[in-house]
Parts: sequence; C-alpha cells; structure tokens
Amino acid sequence: MAVALARIDDRLIHGQVTVGWGQHLRPDLILLASNAIAADPWQAKVYASSVPPEIGVAVLSVHAAAARLLEAEAAGERVLLLTASAGEMAEIVRLGAPVARVNVGGMHFSAGKHEMLPFVYVDRQDVRAFRRLLDMGIVLAAQQVPGGRSHPLGQDQITDMEERV
Amino acid sequence: MIRALVITHGRIGEELVRVLGMILGPHDGLEAMSNSHRSAQDITEAVKAWLDAGEPGAPAIILVDDYGGSCATASQLACAGRKDTAVLSGVNLAMILGFLTWRDSGDFPDLVSRLVAKGREAIVRLGAR
Repeated sequence: MAVALARIDDRLIHGQVTVGWGQHLRPDLILLASNAIAADPWQAKVYASSVPPEIGVAVLSVHAAAARLLEAEAAGERVLLLTASAGEMAEIVRLGAPVARVNVGGMHFSAGKHEMLPFVYVDRQDVRAFRRLLDMGIVLAAQQVPGGRSHPLGQDQITDMEERV
Repeated sequence: MIRALVITHGRIGEELVRVLGMILGPHDGLEAMSNSHRSAQDITEAVKAWLDAGEPGAPAIILVDDYGGSCATASQLACAGRKDTAVLSGVNLAMILGFLTWRDSGDFPDLVSRLVAKGREAIVRLGAR
C-alpha cells in the first residue's frame, strides 16, 4: 500500500506528523495536498522546510496529488498524505487515489464548528465529506498520534453528527 | 520599541515570560501565545494581529519552541512581506534575557544574530572535565 497514512489535519506538517507519525511509519514521502498552498510558492516552501531531510516532501494540488499517489503505488513508495480538510481528502479518493483508510488527526475549533471529539470540530461541509468518504468505502478513524486512542468514525458517528450540525 | 512574541506548544511560552518577569521585573513589549486548540490558520491570524498591534513599521521578533512545528510555520506565514521581522526557533531563557537586555542597542539584524548566538551558547554540558 503506497499510502502509509492518509491524514486530515488542519495544521498539516507539524510535530505530530513529522516526529510522531514520521518516526513510527518511516515514510519515503510526505505529500501535502492543497490547491491553495500548491499555488503559493512561499507557503509551499515554508511547509516543506518543516520536513526532516531524510523524508521527501511534495506540495501538490489535489488533482496532482491523486496522480502522484498512483505513481507512488507503482513505484512502491510509502507516502504520508496530508490534507487540511475532509473535503480535499474526499476529492483525492474520488479521483482514484489508492486510499483505504483515513486518519482524522486534527480539525480545530473555528466559528460555526461543532465538537465531535476534543480534537475534531466539524461543520456541515465536513460531515458531508465524511459521508462521501464512507460511501466510497473508506474506513475513518480519529487518532492524534501513534499509540494514542483510535476513535472509529463509522455510520453511527457520522449519522449522529449529521443530525447535530 | 522592538517587541517580541514567544509562541509555543502548551504553556511553555507563558511560563518563560512569567519567569523573566521574576528575574528582570516587569517588561513591556514581551508577550506569550499558545498554539493549543488552534488550527494553523488561527495561529497565523493571531500572530498577524499581534504584529498589527505594534507601532507601524516597528521591528518585531517571534520566538518559537520547535523548528518544524505549527508555531514556526504560522509565524513565518504571518511575517510574509513584513520588513524587520524575524522568527527564531529553539527559544530559551537566555534568548529572552538577551532580547530584553539588547533590544535598545544596535540595529535589528545585529540583534537577531546576537539572539541566535546567545541561544546556542546557553546549551552547554555543565561540570564536564
């Protein structure tokens, strides 16, 4: 499996990812998928500079990331995929990227978001994206760090949030 | 006046600033911020607001705890396009002491260089023969 971890985390590349998951999974590549950041060389450079030198890094649009994941699968690369939002992750899966499980690592509070877990706050758009991921056969779970508690986000949890938001 | 913001995980920054107050007494232009419970975008906006709260064009230094963490990334993004700002990682007491001691002397690039050197010099193995 090319995708060692597909993670939704609005902090994108930070300590939990590079140190926590990075040391645990030893990926060949951290792939940050974001249309906005990929279009801004300065932002892309800042995020890329946070990755330890022993791990490769790429900052790509959502479309380009989906294509890159297919290449990685063919080449046997281990990739840690990051998106800031559930919607971007759902789009990557829809485009055919080889993703089976999605880790929800951090979706922080902002106005209009509802608490699902202490580190997962969602609005209607997020819940709709979670539903799309489930409908595409993705196994969803929330977990901040390796060894931390994994919270399944299955039909029951998503249905509950659809009623709340 | 050159200001500084110590932005860290948890309450590290708040405690560093509090302890500095115990050593040097009250000081203006030195504040702390935490990244707890905040997205990268929220942290970036908070740092921009702190920068905007200073005198227009006045230099500012941001001290962060972790080189590759969300505080560092957000601070760099917040400083984009602003002259006379610097983001330094690996904050320690010596750097903040140096900032409060030297901020009124010398030019801004020189102050930044001195703080980086001071932070590194503070890391020594004690008692080694």
